[in-house]
Amino acid sequence: MQSSFTHPDRAASSVLRSLTAIGFQVELPVAATCVLLDTFDARLHRAGLRLEYRGGEVGELVLAGPAGTPTAYLAWAKELPRFGSDFPIGPFGQRVASLSEERALIPGLAFTTHTRVASQRDRRGKVVVSVLLHERPSVDDAEAELPSWVAEVVGVVGHDTERAEAFDRLARLGLVPTNGTVADVVARAMGSSLEGHTSVPTIALDAQQDALSAYRAVLLNLVSTVRVNLPGTLANTDPEFLHELRVAVRRTRSVLSQGRGVLPEDVRLHFATAFGQLGTLTGPARDLDVYVMGWDLMVAPLRLPDPRVLVRVRGEIERRRRAAHAILSVELGGEACRQTLEDWSGWLAGTEGVQPKPKPIGPWMARRIAKAHARVVAHGRAITPASPPEALHDLRKDAKKLRYLLECFGGLLPRKGRKAFVGQLKVLQDNLGEHQDAEVQLAELRMLAHDLHARASVDTDALLAMGRLSDLLDRRRREQRELFVERFASYDTNANAIMLTTMLDALEQR
Amino acid sequence: MKVAATYSIKGGVGKTSTAVNLAFEAAREGARVLVWDLDPQGAATFLFRVRPKVRGGSRRMVGARGELASNIRGSNLSPVHVVPADFSLRHLDLHLKKRARPSRRLADLLAPVQDLYDIALLDCPPSISLASESVFGAAEALLVPVVPATLATRTLTQLVDFLDDQEDAPSVLPILSMVDRRRRLHKELAESLAADWPELLTTAIPAAAVIERMGLERAPVGISAPSSPATRAYRALWAEVSARLWA
Ligand SMILES: Nc1ncnc2c1ncn2[C@@H]1O[C@H](COP(=O)(O)OP(=O)(O)OP(=O)(O)O)[C@@H](O)[C@H]1O
Ligand SMILES: [Mg+2]
Repeated sequence: MQSSFTHPDRAASSVLRSLTAIGFQVELPVAATCVLLDTFDARLHRAGLRLEYRGGEVGELVLAGPAGTPTAYLAWAKELPRFGSDFPIGPFGQRVASLSEERALIPGLAFTTHTRVASQRDRRGKVVVSVLLHERPSVDDAEAELPSWVAEVVGVVGHDTERAEAFDRLARLGLVPTNGTVADVVARAMGSSLEGHTSVPTIALDAQQDALSAYRAVLLNLVSTVRVNLPGTLANTDPEFLHELRVAVRRTRSVLSQGRGVLPEDVRLHFATAFGQLGTLTGPARDLDVYVMGWDLMVAPLRLPDPRVLVRVRGEIERRRRAAHAILSVELGGEACRQTLEDWSGWLAGTEGVQPKPKPIGPWMARRIAKAHARVVAHGRAITPASPPEALHDLRKDAKKLRYLLECFGGLLPRKGRKAFVGQLKVLQDNLGEHQDAEVQLAELRMLAHDLHARASVDTDALLAMGRLSDLLDRRRREQRELFVERFASYDTNANAIMLTTMLDALEQR
Repeated sequence: MKVAATYSIKGGVGKTSTAVNLAFEAAREGARVLVWDLDPQGAATFLFRVRPKVRGGSRRMVGARGELASNIRGSNLSPVHVVPADFSLRHLDLHLKKRARPSRRLADLLAPVQDLYDIALLDCPPSISLASESVFGAAEALLVPVVPATLATRTLTQLVDFLDDQEDAPSVLPILSMVDRRRRLHKELAESLAADWPELLTTAIPAAAVIERMGLERAPVGISAPSSPATRAYRALWAEVSARLWA
């Protein structure tokens, strides 16, 4: 909505004069800093909210929704909040935390202004409209060209007329109306986006386009996801950076493994190895992240009479997690990794490897997806109650491969049908994933118990609690195993097969 | 959105003062607050400097096509919005009686704005009526100011007895109001009240000139007298209330 004004030549004083002429009272200017906070993937922004820290005489956090909805304010004298848990208990923190979840709030756009409030009151002394005149907005970046002032019209609920009058008055002065608040104006002038970064693997593709160019586009998108998540992973800003990076690495590996005959074989094998190493490198830290994040939920059913019993154990897991991240930062931050990513991006952006007779991606990918699905079905059907757990792990990998193809090359398929099919696949994957998680955690816990016991650094109570915990994990694993039959049956249906074949046939024919 | 009401069968005990000052404290702690003035006298409306006008009167507001949104007004505290009262609210019972489920009507009116606010504070007139029952149907907590006077707890007992027969009744949180610690009688009454009513909130609101002056200042004491004992008391009271609501 248009709610602000500015002008390249006109002085701010002309705004004030015009407002005082219609009875606005103007306060003294106050120097203020403003810092926008959001998660890396802009969860607040995408929910229509904006969180700002405003520092002046007193600091406060401001949580604003769409125009017309009430804004919340929270006095803030500490360092900027990073996680939902940094807020005091109450609605403000709850609203932020329910959106940000495990992601850190990262300070984004920051600027200072000298701001005056001009307001019009009714005969009861109630403010019915205000204009915030922000003079000399400035950012650290000396290059940035910002307007010398921005006037923001702020309405009051139930007083639309007064707001409209003030707006018209400023418009009639010949000022330039613009969208949003001063922060929006500054962001636009800086060319900075508030949209954040989301790691979407699906990109637009054309079934007729040659397969190599399609692979290149898909892989380029994936490597850029790896690269944007790298700094946050190295700094361990929040666990999602590593997670997104890992997923992009896994997708890359999966696409590479499905690229025989399209990508030059030497390139394919070289980078398959390099990304394989990257994947292995990131495993331990992620496993421990998952462990720590799921800890409270995991131990809750134990209903420990004294939660301190497991403090030691938890502390040990935390310690291992920190150690794993420290190792990860060194390795991922090293020259080898940098070189791999650079070489790979370079190769993908180039034109090398084009074949004399290019094949269209549509039919090629249709066959690959059909095969991947057939593999899931065949392996799933072969699983019996007597099969070893490894059979489920392998199936989990098959399902992942299929999922990655459907996502990375999803641009070839109709959106609705793809989403529906992936939804079905996801139900099966969740079951396989939980089975696997329980198993990994069980193994980890046993090792931990063993280590702690050997070092005599836990007491009997803790060992007993760990024993109960491992029973719990074991039960969860068995439950998922029993659920598998049903979950697989609901994936392996005629309807599902037809849904997929219909989509793939369309690709073959085009 | 949580819903709480300042309520008492007895008049002049500090309901409106509590509602207005808690609204300020809630806003200060980061809440988005809707104050709904249900008293035809419109004292809360006056204190928030809002024009006392219900669009189409209370008949329209609680009628079949009634709604709150068009009646919501901003105040000088930007996170606090107000649904003002006017004299038409004296017939609120009459109009509620025409509804199929009068005791649900206020809750139904609040439902569409529940995502916009964190807390709604309903300021009630001193009575027990159909409108009160509708308040009980909407609120999860009743903040009941009790003045330290002999017989003052009689109305509290009446209220609790009445709610005992109701399904889904709100919890009753009595608050000591207008307490003068220097007076022996007040001290004694406060102690016996605490003994008889375990739900009694530990914060007592002192008898204070700054609270009396709110009618002149037309602002919460947090603004007119930010470091007064009265402001501290309302702050502590809000901490207690919010701990219960958001526990
Ligand atoms: N703690 C206090 N100290 C001094 N005066 C107070 C205090 N609380 C309320 N008052 C004064 O007592 C009078 C009644 O207070 P208030 O309007 O808050 O009560 P009420 O219960 O809402 O009244 P009503 O039943 O008429 O709605 C007002 O003049 C108010 O200023
Ligand atoms: Mg009152």
